[in-house]
Amino acid sequence: MPVITLDYSRLQKLVGKVSKKQISESLPFLGLDVESEDETCIRVEYSPNRPDYSTDFGIALGLQGLFGIKTGGIKLKIKKSTQYKINVTPSISKIRPYVTGIIAKNGKINGDILEQLIQMQEDLHMGIGRKRKKSSIGIHDLNKISFPLLYTTTTRNHKFVPLNSEKELSISEIISDTETGKDYGHLLGQSTQVPIIIDSNKKTVSFPPIINAAITAVTTKTKNLFVEVTGINKDDAEDMLSVVATILQSAGFTLENIQISGAKNSSPKLQEKKMSVDSSLINQTLGLNLNTSKIIASLKKSRLDAVYRGKNIVCTIPAYRFDIFGPMDLVEEVALGYGIQNFEPTISPSQTIGQTNPISLQLKSLDQIMIGLGFLEALNSSLSSKRVLYDMTNRDSQKIISVLDSKSQEHTVLRDCIFPGLIENLSRNIHVSYPQKMFETGSIFNLDNPLSEKTNLAVISAHKDANFTEIKSVLQTALKIGFGIQIETKTAINPSFKNGNCANIIFNKNIIGIIGEIDSKIVDNYKIRVPVVGFEISLSDSILKSI
Amino acid sequence: MSQVFHDIEKKIINSLKKNPIQTPETLEKSTQLLPDQIRRGIEWLKLKNLAIVDESKSSTLSLGKNGIDSFEKGLPERRLLNLLTNGPRKLSDLQKELGFIFGPAMGLSRKNNWIETSSDEIILKIIPSILPGEKTLQQIGSGNLSKDQIDKIDLTELLKRPDFIIENIMTSKKISLTDSAKSMDVSNTSGAIDVEANVPELFVARRHPLKDTIDEIREIFVTLGFSEIFGNMTQSSFWNFDALFTPQDHPARELQDTFFLDGVSAKKIGTVEQIRKVSDSHKKNWRYQWDINEARKMVLRTHTTCVTIKHLAEKKPDEARIFSLGRVFRNEKVSYKHLVEFNQIEGIVIGKDANLRNLMGIQREFYKRIGITKIKFWPTFFPYTEPSLQTMVYNEKLGKWIELFGMGIFRPEVTKPLGITKPVLAWGGGIERIAMLKYGLTDVREFYNNDLGWLRSNTKCQ
Repeated sequence: MPVITLDYSRLQKLVGKVSKKQISESLPFLGLDVESEDETCIRVEYSPNRPDYSTDFGIALGLQGLFGIKTGGIKLKIKKSTQYKINVTPSISKIRPYVTGIIAKNGKINGDILEQLIQMQEDLHMGIGRKRKKSSIGIHDLNKISFPLLYTTTTRNHKFVPLNSEKELSISEIISDTETGKDYGHLLGQSTQVPIIIDSNKKTVSFPPIINAAITAVTTKTKNLFVEVTGINKDDAEDMLSVVATILQSAGFTLENIQISGAKNSSPKLQEKKMSVDSSLINQTLGLNLNTSKIIASLKKSRLDAVYRGKNIVCTIPAYRFDIFGPMDLVEEVALGYGIQNFEPTISPSQTIGQTNPISLQLKSLDQIMIGLGFLEALNSSLSSKRVLYDMTNRDSQKIISVLDSKSQEHTVLRDCIFPGLIENLSRNIHVSYPQKMFETGSIFNLDNPLSEKTNLAVISAHKDANFTEIKSVLQTALKIGFGIQIETKTAINPSFKNGNCANIIFNKNIIGIIGEIDSKIVDNYKIRVPVVGFEISLSDSILKSI
Repeated sequence: MSQVFHDIEKKIINSLKKNPIQTPETLEKSTQLLPDQIRRGIEWLKLKNLAIVDESKSSTLSLGKNGIDSFEKGLPERRLLNLLTNGPRKLSDLQKELGFIFGPAMGLSRKNNWIETSSDEIILKIIPSILPGEKTLQQIGSGNLSKDQIDKIDLTELLKRPDFIIENIMTSKKISLTDSAKSMDVSNTSGAIDVEANVPELFVARRHPLKDTIDEIREIFVTLGFSEIFGNMTQSSFWNFDALFTPQDHPARELQDTFFLDGVSAKKIGTVEQIRKVSDSHKKNWRYQWDINEARKMVLRTHTTCVTIKHLAEKKPDEARIFSLGRVFRNEKVSYKHLVEFNQIEGIVIGKDANLRNLMGIQREFYKRIGITKIKFWPTFFPYTEPSLQTMVYNEKLGKWIELFGMGIFRPEVTKPLGITKPVLAWGGGIERIAMLKYGLTDVREFYNNDLGWLRSNTKCQ
């Protein structure tokens, strides 16, 4: 989740008369997790569903609401203008079909504000923009551009001076040589045509979604901005624009609209929407008994406008709050405005009778029997490695189940049995006193249209006198005392076990497991200096009783 | 009360009564005890003020290689002088006969004026009856001696010569009884034993500490009226994500966060109606082309919520309290605070009266039962619940607030497509975190290291 650094003094200026302490104590109640804090700054993590919290301007609007300094909805004031136009050519439809944008004038951009805008742009790209795939933003110096603009396609030979470069580069060079080109060039696929925004003097403004032109770069001297958002879906592009527009207005800019036309494109509306919610849904869901005026006051603290029509609360939701899908989201807004700290937890008497799963009970009983027989319980991950599961124990790895792109080499393969993990555990304890006796009950996995999951018990005993008789006695006793089951053992050959010291475990004429002395080469390879005996049985199919 | 002795102590005391000053070696012989038993016995008696251990250092002398040679054949200079008793000899002949001792023999004899050299001949001048060092060499050669029995000056000469004399410094212990011990009766006819002595450590077979915590948590939920359900760790993306309103392009669904099974896809992921309604909800709310093949991809579940939602979709109860406990997976780098596989508890309450304050109340009750009373709730975000909260609990040992369970009410976008009509409270969180607090661990990996040292020794009831 994205993290933003907030400067206390800037935030205090934006919010109004509040102390540092009040700010740091209130941020969590906006849903912001405090990461760290010092004298001047506080770092918070915000959820990607609230992209307006990607700048301190957005967070300040939220805090003003909680403190009651300013409440109610944030209305975008967009001046109607016919001065700014973008025409779209149909050739773009198959590549990145939509463009939208807004003009923001007469703002002051200092270093801090520039930093906030860049941070916001980056977070929006990563989050709702899905790494620029869905939508991406370009912010430009308006005064360097002459309207009308054309959003069209061009070839990969098209040249211009991109941001952070001093010379002209072709589109191909930008994709192969610049950092953003390398990161995002793949979004354009193999298409020979790429998106481009060109101004009326044929100057390149932007090459979405990769990079802006150097000439329109925003600096601390910039007063007026042109913001464009391009994307593969019109609504998503306008959602993103609504966040930028709201933040720029809060930062002191005045907004003017852009007329957009051609190839199914149109001017952005950035309209508020109305949504109503039944006050009884609010009270039932929250377990409160709030009257309509308290509900409305709470919504206003969450920076929404609301009025009541009988039992219904009608909310006005600004365009940038596209995280609000339906009435339940408004219930949460009421909860936040009311203040989570003001909720008194209650416990309603249980109408139900609790029950431990019968399988859990049986497994716990089996565990107790194993402990009674002198075995210590071990726990290993079900996600292990080829080395431990197959290579070190000579097992056939044909039906291996791997995960993709694991960050940990020790966790790449789902186990199909438990005992190889236990032998590996012995190898980590060779300096500890013997006898070492361990068991583990747990899930194992097999490919079976597509997968099966079963519960196994594995047991091992390692000490200088360990032998087949000892471990067969353990097996026999555990199953007899645990489940009233009699088993047989029939000679078998298994690559993990010593020849002539290995048997299949038979119950009701079915093989349910394997028992024997571990092959001495395996034991040697693990540098274990005593004999190791063990068994593993499947519990799922014939032993555990589901009720 | 008469003092009680260990068998070892008795044997040592009895032996010392017969023979008052002994070394550990003589005690070994007289008591037939092992060296280690003697060592421990002496230590115990010393602590009880019954034995006196007098440690002294002494040095013994023995012959080195050259010393042995001289002891057997005479000192080099003696051998030279003997060869000259029948008249002068040629230097080169002597050199041949004496070999490497010729040099030192010549040097000493000339220095002491026992010989004379004229051109290439060597002539004897005088032959002393005893040469310096000869007496000491004889003494040492006949038996190891202590340094003070030897003529110091004579020895000093020999010590200067290479590999003649070896000096061994030895610490010797002389053990005797204190006066009170001498008069003590150790026969002990009462049958009493030393109940204060240390005894060997035993290693107990036991349940894994993490399983103890899991059992404890299971029991708490059962007593709160919850029933336990099970589900698979391998799940289709449909139940792990789609059914929980997590869009298919959500970052959590990327390889870098979630374990996808290589080449494994689910054939049947749900009923036709479930698939249609879930996909419609995605298309309408998230505005994208929902792809059934994405939903088929098998993953290692990232939470147990997939188990509870599947249960609800299947049974559609109007009123229920259910929980699920089990392993969940995240594709993370393993570190002291992150595992790729850990245990999660997940609980739900469904019923017409289920509300946010109840949800908070259940959490408060649960924490109270595991001994945590200082808690608070903060709002947070999950794709499948609204409202969503997280609990912060205050840890006295660490002196800070830490995040535990996440919770919320399932979104209508989750419940409606699956035909669930009543509100559903849901919460869940990692069990290792709670167990770490309980056992005071700072490294979560300890639970899965199977380090016998730790498993055998940590305190069970905490």
